[in-house]
Amino acid sequence: MTSGALIFQSVILGLLLGGLYALLASGLTLYFGIMRVVMIAHSAFLILAAYLAWWSQTRLGVDPLLSLVVTVPLFFAAGVLLQRGLLSRLRPATLTMMSVLLTFAIAVIIEGLLGYAFTGTQRRIQLGYGTANLELLGARIAVVKLIAFGLAVAALLTLYLLLKRTTFGWALRATIQHPDAARLVGIDTNRVAGYGFGIGLATAAVGGTALALDTTIYPSLHWHWIGPLMAIIVVGGLGSVPGAAAAAMVLGLTQSLLQIPLNTTWAQTIFYLALFATLAFRPQGFFGGRLAQRF
Amino acid sequence: MSERSEQGLRTEGLTKAFGGVVALDGASVAFRQGQVNALIGPNGSGKTTFFNCVTGMIRADSGRTVYHGRNITRAAPHAIAHAGIGRTFQLCRVFPRMSALDNVLAAVRPVGLLGRLRGARNRAEVDRARGWLTRLGIEHLVDVEARNMSWGQQKLLELAGVLMGDPETVLLDEPAGGVNPALLDRIGGLVRELNAEGRTFVIVEHNMDLVMSISDHIVVFDRGRPIAEGPPSVIRSDERVLGAYLGV
Amino acid sequence: MPSASDPATTSAARRPAVTPARAARGVLLLLVVVAALSFPSLAPNPYVLSAGILVLNYALLSTSWNFVGGFTGYISLGHGALAGLGAYGTGLLVTKAGLPSFLALLVAALVVAALAVPIGYAALRVRGASFVIVSIALVLVLLLVFQSWASFTGGSRGLTVPRPFPDLLRPEHHRVFWFLFAGLLALALLVWWLIDRSRFGLGLKAIREDEDKAESLGIPTFAYKLVVFVVSAGFTAAAGGLYALWFGDLDPVFQFSILTGSYLVLMALLGGVRSLFGPLLGALVVGTALEYFKVEYGSTPLHLVATGLLLAVVVLFMPDGVLPAVAAGIDRFRPAQQSIREVTAAELREQRAGGAAAETELAGARPGGAPATKEGA
Repeated sequence: MTSGALIFQSVILGLLLGGLYALLASGLTLYFGIMRVVMIAHSAFLILAAYLAWWSQTRLGVDPLLSLVVTVPLFFAAGVLLQRGLLSRLRPATLTMMSVLLTFAIAVIIEGLLGYAFTGTQRRIQLGYGTANLELLGARIAVVKLIAFGLAVAALLTLYLLLKRTTFGWALRATIQHPDAARLVGIDTNRVAGYGFGIGLATAAVGGTALALDTTIYPSLHWHWIGPLMAIIVVGGLGSVPGAAAAAMVLGLTQSLLQIPLNTTWAQTIFYLALFATLAFRPQGFFGGRLAQRF
Repeated sequence: MSERSEQGLRTEGLTKAFGGVVALDGASVAFRQGQVNALIGPNGSGKTTFFNCVTGMIRADSGRTVYHGRNITRAAPHAIAHAGIGRTFQLCRVFPRMSALDNVLAAVRPVGLLGRLRGARNRAEVDRARGWLTRLGIEHLVDVEARNMSWGQQKLLELAGVLMGDPETVLLDEPAGGVNPALLDRIGGLVRELNAEGRTFVIVEHNMDLVMSISDHIVVFDRGRPIAEGPPSVIRSDERVLGAYLGV
Repeated sequence: MPSASDPATTSAARRPAVTPARAARGVLLLLVVVAALSFPSLAPNPYVLSAGILVLNYALLSTSWNFVGGFTGYISLGHGALAGLGAYGTGLLVTKAGLPSFLALLVAALVVAALAVPIGYAALRVRGASFVIVSIALVLVLLLVFQSWASFTGGSRGLTVPRPFPDLLRPEHHRVFWFLFAGLLALALLVWWLIDRSRFGLGLKAIREDEDKAESLGIPTFAYKLVVFVVSAGFTAAAGGLYALWFGDLDPVFQFSILTGSYLVLMALLGGVRSLFGPLLGALVVGTALEYFKVEYGSTPLHLVATGLLLAVVVLFMPDGVLPAVAAGIDRFRPAQQSIREVTAAELREQRAGGAAAETELAGARPGGAPATKEGA
């Protein structure tokens, strides 16, 4: 393959990966916007969804995409319960710190239970279309990556419409921007926050399924994901969904291109470099998040 | 005495917008050094934002704050405190899980490494802190954690902490808010007393009886900038003030 | 002015010199010291002694963590990484630079403390969440780097650190390191105690309570947080370095483990972050349990579940610590609690008089007591 084609392929792969990052980071951004919570367990739920997709495919013979019908509502309910039952019980004064510990604990519990139920063995979904490739201008793109990207785009689009076009979306945005004012105009911010968490976790269900199509999964994989996701929401400007999406695309692309000269592991350090640099030099982020200065 | 009018706290064109909402719109105010100044105005006229900008808690979009001829616009809040400006908060802020004594001692400003490593409860400072607690009438609460105190007691404690820092200029944000009449009198009397000892006050307050009875100089805010100023007798009959308050 | 330069005046502020509570505390402290000194002789076999050292290591790490967590309320999940850096720093300085073991440990601790300045700058410049994010990211990125940079760090094969005392037999080796760990722990406790009672410590605690308020009272919050983070990093790295010299074999997966960081948090929270000996007590409980379960049941995923559940329960129901709640009776241990409670009404009157005197003094401090012209004038 010529180096030009290689770069082209990396760009395509980077954009596809960026789309998945964008979807997953949108959930993390929602939680932060709603409650100033850094939800460490987000990526653990992601892996849980991936395992559920794998399980339904290997044990029940159901296509992973069909499993979404069950996992999305399930995760939505789990998100609502998590917010209403656990996070809202924490003292506001120490919420930021304690919520991290609590969600960390949930992440570890999920990892432990996955390890208990499915052992630490690496798992991979075998699909009929799993090895199919698409040739595009000399670049070979796996079909599953396109499906994953399509899922991410569809979910993000749904999220966008939900936030911009519905009454609930209006209430959620009001709650994020100014909870006190939102209460004054009659929004039940507690309930909205709960549903907001539900939506955030529902994105993890979609993202996890997309991930499972194309990735080997194991219980501790979530640590591999939470770092890049945190980097994305910081670089994007904490609390800004479009900012996180932009940062996700840029970082996904950079990572993909860096994989040409470097190996996969070193390429991943770009996320951490971007994270540290952003916090040190521009803590409000690069893509217009407005919440950073207030946290 | 004439030189003192050049002294003190003034702002030039302070502007601050939150999103599309302009909270401060080119506010230029010169407070009278050595006097009790009041800052009044309808809700949302930018008084608290003004305090927050002056004390460095939020950064103004443009304009400057000058204290004794020194530009303190970009200074960190602690540096502004060190320059001699102390403040209380609208919703009274104390350290909830610290005793009254520690609340007051926290305002001590040690210098150098050894100064900072010195015991916080050294005799001189404990005595001084107790002195302030006594003067504010809450010395019996010296060991009580602030969260176990009543609202009024917390307000007094907050003031004691601010005074422990020995500020030359004291900014009080709604000292009368949520306070019973007896305590109100006490706070009013205290402000006059402390002013007589040489401290300048700037008070944001809605209780007009208190404002009219204790202040020497009143600045009226409306929509993020001063619209009138003068002694209470003048302000009381100023049409613009009435307009701003009554929405005429 | 009263003699302000003598730190000894501090204790004078607490009127009664010896109370039963203080005596009890002294006796208890003595017992702890005696127990620490005699443990190596009492331990039935080298295994128990080495398990004891692991627990002591946890106590040291958790106490070091508590410089940040306890004073400022900022919770770091990344202290495992700082310990790992100290361990690898020490190991690499010994193997690659040929430094003597304990000089290497000192240098490594200082280097990590210096590294903590830029890390702390990024983590603490803005409030709250960024600290947690940085602390977790630190573990993850260092794990990546130390696994990948195999030519320098040994990568996943690990790094073997030569023993500082090659002539000692294994039990003797353990015994020496028990005392080294205990000594370093005593130093960390001493420094924590000094900060706890100092003006600096009070400033840090004010930050924990309300950072904006602390800043408005004149406390340089960012500098305070940064300094205490650096101190914490230095002790944590030294603990890691000592571990490297004792254990002699480093693996990135264990050195840069986020789980280690969470154990430290759990220990400190369990024992009580506001107290000097809280993390130590927590480490005794959690550390012993960790070792026990590892021996009895091996390493299973259920450890993770148990750790997570315990952490969640502590965070939800006992954020101030379990042992403090349980041990309310013997909480004389907690310096934060002791105060001037023993003051009688007569003394109160006397102190009121003193307070009045202090005020006069205060007025006198301003020239002429007239319109103030001090700083900034």
